[in-house]
Amino acid sequence: MAEFGIALIATLIKVGVLVGVVLGVSAYLTWFERKLAGHIQARLGPNVVGPFGLLQPLADAIKLATKEPIVPKGADVPVFYLAIAMALVPSLLLFSVIPFGPEFTLFGKEIKPLISDVNIGILIVFAMGSLAVYGTIFSGWASNSKYAFIGSLRKASVIIAYEVVLGFAVLGVILLAGTISTVEIVESQIKSGVWYILYQPVAFVLFLFCMLAESGRVPFDIQEAEAELVTGYNVEYGGMKFGAFPLAEWYLNVIALSAIAVILFFGGWSGPAIFGAFSPYIWFLLKTFSLVFFVLWLHWTLPRFQAKDITEIAWKIMLPLALANLIVTAVVVYVLGGK
Amino acid sequence: MPWINKGTLERILHEFEGVRAFEGKHLRGFEVSKDRLKGFLRFLRDKERFVHFIDHTVIDFPESENRFQGVYILYNPEQNERVIVKSWAEGGSLPTVEDIWAGAKWAEREAYDMFGVIYDGHDNLKRMFMWEGYEHFPLRKDFPIQGIPEEELPSITEIMNGRTDPPSHDFELVHTKVPTLEDIERTEKERLRKKAQLVLNWGPLHPGTHGTIWFLFDLEGESVLQSDVILGQLHRGMEKIAENLYYFQFLPYTDRMDYISAICNELSYVSAVEKLLEIEVPEKARYIRTMFAELQRINSHLLWLGTGALDLGALTVFLYCFREREKIMDIIEGNAGFRLTSAFLRIGGVHYDLAEGTLDVVKAFVKDFVNKLKEYHTLLTRNRIWLRRTKEVGIITREDVYNYGLSGPVARASGVAYDLRRLEPYAAYDELDFDIPVGEVGDVYDRYLVRMEEMAQSVRIIEQCVEKLEKMPKDAPYINKSHPAVIPPKEDVFMSLEDMVQSFRVVVHGESAPAEEVFVSAENPRGELGFYIYSKGGGRPYRLRIRSGALYNLSIFPKLIQGRTIADAIALLGSLDPVVGETDR
Repeated sequence: MAEFGIALIATLIKVGVLVGVVLGVSAYLTWFERKLAGHIQARLGPNVVGPFGLLQPLADAIKLATKEPIVPKGADVPVFYLAIAMALVPSLLLFSVIPFGPEFTLFGKEIKPLISDVNIGILIVFAMGSLAVYGTIFSGWASNSKYAFIGSLRKASVIIAYEVVLGFAVLGVILLAGTISTVEIVESQIKSGVWYILYQPVAFVLFLFCMLAESGRVPFDIQEAEAELVTGYNVEYGGMKFGAFPLAEWYLNVIALSAIAVILFFGGWSGPAIFGAFSPYIWFLLKTFSLVFFVLWLHWTLPRFQAKDITEIAWKIMLPLALANLIVTAVVVYVLGGK
Repeated sequence: MPWINKGTLERILHEFEGVRAFEGKHLRGFEVSKDRLKGFLRFLRDKERFVHFIDHTVIDFPESENRFQGVYILYNPEQNERVIVKSWAEGGSLPTVEDIWAGAKWAEREAYDMFGVIYDGHDNLKRMFMWEGYEHFPLRKDFPIQGIPEEELPSITEIMNGRTDPPSHDFELVHTKVPTLEDIERTEKERLRKKAQLVLNWGPLHPGTHGTIWFLFDLEGESVLQSDVILGQLHRGMEKIAENLYYFQFLPYTDRMDYISAICNELSYVSAVEKLLEIEVPEKARYIRTMFAELQRINSHLLWLGTGALDLGALTVFLYCFREREKIMDIIEGNAGFRLTSAFLRIGGVHYDLAEGTLDVVKAFVKDFVNKLKEYHTLLTRNRIWLRRTKEVGIITREDVYNYGLSGPVARASGVAYDLRRLEPYAAYDELDFDIPVGEVGDVYDRYLVRMEEMAQSVRIIEQCVEKLEKMPKDAPYINKSHPAVIPPKEDVFMSLEDMVQSFRVVVHGESAPAEEVFVSAENPRGELGFYIYSKGGGRPYRLRIRSGALYNLSIFPKLIQGRTIADAIALLGSLDPVVGETDR
């Protein structure tokens, strides 16, 4: 019983730390993205509130929180609110299976820096990715707006297509590692001394595309396509309700999926111990944020696909590629004796 | 551009009975009775190859027996000739010609809206700019310029506090009617013949429409079964205003039509008036005009590129374009004193001489801009997503160009080398060396390439203008003040008696134009902007018709969007590049 109590407290602390850190980082990622966009677009970005505009996320949060809440006429009110939860919760739950570093000992207890070391970590990632679409669909349906409706339909078709591709792309890594636990995938990469991106470059590219599609980033941001749908599925939301959607999609999802990409393809926290005791964590965050940076960079450079093109690419090009990659990997693993 | 030559005119008179020749000083054409009109127009198109529809409008003569006279302007691309055909609307109606030229559809709707002329056989004779249920016809001569006050619009103070005595505001409470919500709803319901499940209101205020256009999309899933365009949100009655102003007074209004290329509008208008008044323009003024018109063209195309890319999700191109636009704006501001609606040209010349250092700034800008243009190409031209969004989207055939009266880059992208700078040189274009880029397929991508190349050609033109202007003496005249209808520059007005008297005379009594007609058009960034001026003498035009390139270019949109998706709609609309100030006027 005492053991359970300690485990519970440890987990609660971990959850608290994680949620706090992740939400804070997401808020500051908005600042970073705006600064980056400013730099890319030959302008300054936020620079008025606080030094270097560093208090801008805070100001935005206050602004969003103090806005008048408006529920559109004819809206399905419970679903309207449920949509926000359905958008936020899965993207937060994604973090529960991300290991930020190796085990360490504190007060004589072994502590793993992840919330739940389940042996089906990757499966949870898929599950949460699929659940996240309900946020979009609910918001589109409940808003009683045609723009929102069309936007959510687009997102649904994209998610369906890319979940399949994502699954098949990741299967290659799973075959190599022989496990679907996130921790063990990282450990097997450290053990073999090779990051899986070297064995699975195709899978990584596919994963990257899926990541962009799932998080609704350019060039796959069709569900919000501001020129056609005036930000699409969240058009009827205001104030913090509106803020929750991009927070979940554009920031939480991108960070989480980048972290998972690092786990799958870049050896997780592995790296030379040049930063002392915190070296694994720093490596992990460094890799993750390099990927996040890459996503932001794409966002501010590329045009956007058409809805039908995106699904077409997924079904006609990416899925066969993923399958071929899987088959080749399976054969090679089988011939070389596997694991 | 010459009007129909005398030989052809004689031959047609011989071949087609019941047609009278009609000859003005500046244009030439035919007059035909209403019952023979349609046959004659079809004959002109099929036999005489006047295939390109330019414009149709109506003139109101209240004292005349039939009152309304229809005017058709056509173009023969093989001979490079125009012809004007006039016909009286006997009994207040004209036969529709939309089955001959589809572009006439909107022109006829506009004439119906403004004059109340009925078009027999028109398949969708709805109001063009006004709302359904509006009972007046604004361009009729008996419609007063201030409108018909018939509706009371109290101020907010009065709604809150009730009527006070004395009244809280001293403005008139009775106003011209404005559409109510019911009117707008009725307008919407009457337009679209619904076929599918979902009607999407796209506009009037929507980021994708670049202004206040209102599209109705009849959607099946994401594909558009049919669509309708409701214009008029920015209708200000420019043509009515023009009838009530002196020629020089109307000039600033032209800025507010296609507000992105103000100087090009002015150039078109000023060319028309100068032709009517027969004013010679000094060489320096012509080169200054050309240089600024081309700067404005780059400016306008940059806005198109930026917003077009923004619509397709390329957010950064937008700001890169605005960076360059800012520099052009500064050059214009430094010379004209205004950035957007610059009112820089004057009848007979330009308002100011070149500001000191302008040519150096322009040279520096042009030198730098070539590299910037390369940057835009790197970002978009070979980008696979860009290609996927633009290739094979919205293909316009050559026939449709003629049929719908398309012009400008939209026509040229379809392979029709219709560029008025070459075909009817105005300002200094006949003395300059430049190429006309022409597309092959006529899709969105070709229109993109044509516009990009046009910017490069504009750079060439500007370079030549700068070279020429540098060689000119500093005190060369920039306005032809020897003509009695030209207002001399202000510094002369203050210093010399003759100039002051001339200035007074023009400002008080107007330009006293001869009783003539002229149709002059210029190559605007958005297509052919033409001014048809019907003068009965005096300082004000009797009728001034503005042939808007953007309106005709937009008129093909409902056809192109059929069966395509909403995402294509923005790509398509961006490539047609309408500016509502000009479509609505």
